[in-house]
Amino acid sequence: MRVKKNRFLLLVLLVILPIAFVCHFAAGEISISWSTFTDAWLHFDSSNSEHLIVREFRFPRFVMACLAGSALSVSGLMMQTLFNNPLAGPYILGINSGSSLFVAISLMTGFTFFQNDFGLVSSALIGALVFGFIILGISFKIKQGISLLLIGLMLGSFSGALISILQYLSEANALKMFTLWAMGSLQQVQTAQLPFILLLFFLGMIASFFIVKPLNAFVLGETEAELLGISIRNIRLLIILITAVLTGLVTAFCGPIAFIGLAVPNLVKIIFKTQDHRILLPASLILGAVFLVFCDIVVQLFAETLPLPINAVTSLIGAPMVIYFIVKRIAR
Amino acid sequence: MEAGKIYALIGANGRGKTTFMKTLIGQIPAISGGISIGNKASSVLSPIEKSKLFGFVQSRFAGVPYMKAKEYVALGRSPYTNAFGRLSTKDEDIVNQSFSTLEIEHLADKFTEELSDGERQMLAIAKVLTQETQYIFLDEPTAFLDYSNKKKVLDKLTEIAIKLKKTIVYSSHDLELTLGHSDELVCIAHEGNDVRSFRKNEIEFEGLVRFCFGVNSPN
Repeated sequence: MRVKKNRFLLLVLLVILPIAFVCHFAAGEISISWSTFTDAWLHFDSSNSEHLIVREFRFPRFVMACLAGSALSVSGLMMQTLFNNPLAGPYILGINSGSSLFVAISLMTGFTFFQNDFGLVSSALIGALVFGFIILGISFKIKQGISLLLIGLMLGSFSGALISILQYLSEANALKMFTLWAMGSLQQVQTAQLPFILLLFFLGMIASFFIVKPLNAFVLGETEAELLGISIRNIRLLIILITAVLTGLVTAFCGPIAFIGLAVPNLVKIIFKTQDHRILLPASLILGAVFLVFCDIVVQLFAETLPLPINAVTSLIGAPMVIYFIVKRIAR
Repeated sequence: MEAGKIYALIGANGRGKTTFMKTLIGQIPAISGGISIGNKASSVLSPIEKSKLFGFVQSRFAGVPYMKAKEYVALGRSPYTNAFGRLSTKDEDIVNQSFSTLEIEHLADKFTEELSDGERQMLAIAKVLTQETQYIFLDEPTAFLDYSNKKKVLDKLTEIAIKLKKTIVYSSHDLELTLGHSDELVCIAHEGNDVRSFRKNEIEFEGLVRFCFGVNSPN
């Protein structure tokens, strides 16, 4: 019965997504009719500014909100399972900070790994991977999840300090670029970049769907997983790799978006009341997308009066929600 | 070790009962020597091969939030299910079977967090049964239980060994209880490197207490 109910809930989430798309589209600053929207794709006219808005701004922004929300939620879910701790997430474990640090270095010192469009992306990805492996390396030595979280926070403040030194030393223009990036924005993505982002996103997602069985065993802890025949070393490596790619990708294009990776998986567990990743994974994927699209609708609605960075909105909406659910669960 | 027999591993705290069992199932490498199953050394087995041969029950399962008892027990099928962990009808049957073997069908739809320590211990045993291993090891299965639950768990284990022809090894320091629930006692001396094994009919209680714990029996 529970399985049926969960399937139904998943379906509900899937239906909410297109509704969120309609709202997201309608919430934009300049109102554009739906016929213009379809025209922009079917009869594209490059001199028509409304067509350009649809193709270059509205659409990539919506797609990016979905991808970023999904990627961060799924990363958060896998981190929570791997470290057996509901407080884990790419942000808290310092994987975001790795991206931030490397992006800061490339923006403010001019050093990049690749001299092209993907300079920033590669920096963010490499940063996420480096910090991911640092955390992984430490996790071999330290078993308790709580110490790992503390180390993640330390990594965060360590790279934070390095970043502020860089900021202090850098010139005004580079400083502004970095600050804008760090506030988080879904607006920076161009339509031409979407195929590349989609490719990495799908690779990460497909890989994560292939480890649902080990993830389910990891819920019982690594010892039990090993007793159930899981080669924990490989799976650990794979989880860190997937989360680093997904988080690095999002962080590169949207800046460090906080909170989603922590909040959405916890919400999903509270709503679906299961530990089965065959449910948790798709549910985090869809709810993550819906959640971030919804936050971006709020950003758009206030855009004229009060320009809010997406980062602020995710926390403003998410934090009270999670507190509400936790209190409700404990009070029951 | 023989099929259908139940062995108790006795020793004082910190004398290496857990380490010994974990070495037997190949979870930690042996310091010296080796363990062979049939004619194969246990250290060369892959994780999946080990999981089909050895079941291990940790001393305490604390429960997992939002995890149903049935979900938990079904995880024991992991070594046999496909890449996505889908349960076949056969897998479902085996899961239901182990619930009824332990007479805990009424727990199936409860959340593991809501159960008592005794009930969770039964679940952990049910899970290891679904793993369908010839050898079942239990690390102090009675450590966190009250007297009636201790007896219940050991009764069930004895029954499983005989009926399902399993080889069961469990560690304990409840000497009195284990006497009635084992075919052979393997005792680790309280000091030195001495390990002795005793058959059921050759046990002399007072000597055993002195050997394992270094104190005289109170009675």
